[in-house]
Amino acid sequence: MTSTDSIAATLDSLVQDATEHHYSPYSRFQWVDHLPDEQWWMSPDLTTVAGTPWAEQLDPAALMRLSKWESINFFSLNIHGIRELLIEVTRRIHTPGFELPSEFFHRFLGEENGHMWFFAQFCRRYGGKIYPDKMLPVADPGDDPELASFLVFARILIFEELVDHFNIRMGRDEALHPLIREINQVHHDDEWRHIVMGCKLVEHLYQPLRERDDRELRERLDQYLTRYIAASAQLLYNPAAYRDAGIPDAYEFRNTVMESPQRRGHHELFFRRITRFLVGQQIISRSPFAAAPA
Amino acid sequence: MIERVRSWLLERNPGVDDIGLDDDIIDTRLIDSLAFPELLLFLEHLTGREITLAPDTVVSFRTLRGIRDKILVAPSESVSHD
Repeated sequence: MTSTDSIAATLDSLVQDATEHHYSPYSRFQWVDHLPDEQWWMSPDLTTVAGTPWAEQLDPAALMRLSKWESINFFSLNIHGIRELLIEVTRRIHTPGFELPSEFFHRFLGEENGHMWFFAQFCRRYGGKIYPDKMLPVADPGDDPELASFLVFARILIFEELVDHFNIRMGRDEALHPLIREINQVHHDDEWRHIVMGCKLVEHLYQPLRERDDRELRERLDQYLTRYIAASAQLLYNPAAYRDAGIPDAYEFRNTVMESPQRRGHHELFFRRITRFLVGQQIISRSPFAAAPA
Repeated sequence: MIERVRSWLLERNPGVDDIGLDDDIIDTRLIDSLAFPELLLFLEHLTGREITLAPDTVVSFRTLRGIRDKILVAPSESVSHD
């Protein structure tokens, strides 16, 4: 089976699965009137203070407040990430070079629009806001569409893998409110298909770049994607979330927690699957969270 | 306050001796898209308010003069941390 046949077979399977499991996001959830502050809104081990001294020093009420606002931040990051993804996939659907995935792209776009909606519903109903996007629009290397498309789908895949790690954990966490568990589980139930497609596409789109035999280009891509993974981890640390949780000196607190040595292992875990994939494909040489070679 | 921004950028670019008010900090790669959120959070910390990115304000981040004159001053629609 050729590489293209393999991709086509995978996409056909994903389209079939998406069709069989289609649902309306607008009627899927029972939106409760109120979610109490005094509960876990995010699994404690996923909060940014997990593993640090502050997980012991902050009282349970403060930790639960932080979990609320980090849950709002997590869903806000999803909303902004989905926006870029919707724009970039729409730009490519039914265009030359993307004939093969376009049928699945329709499912993908529909599902991601639904995800954006229900994440926004959660943020507005229970947090009263969506935290603003901090990212600059990424400059498109307009003179190299092959490179541009690879970077788009690599970024999408990295983001989706981070989110999926959180979704899998929280979808099963009995300590969380059923609505929070359900949102995470429903998102994962769609997202695994997107990740399978993403892996196939990233591998496929990197191949012509590999074949250019341009070592300098590959090193630049390695550095960029490694930094992108690290930058994605940094977005989890939002001073506004600490502020809303009532933690004083939020900006300093954010920087101190983020740079705590105890956090490295958590970051490595969050991105383990995607870094293994990218290293296996020889797209990056190592995890950004791995200890520097001696 | 702009001197603190200049210092912040210089700390992150050890090979750079100075940054002029009108130097394009994005084109010269003193700050790129991946590091931009850190700059934005630092500016929010300095000003004590949330800074909203909008198509017409993004250009202000390109120079220290733009940051000084358009970002560090309090616009009427700013959201305070208080």
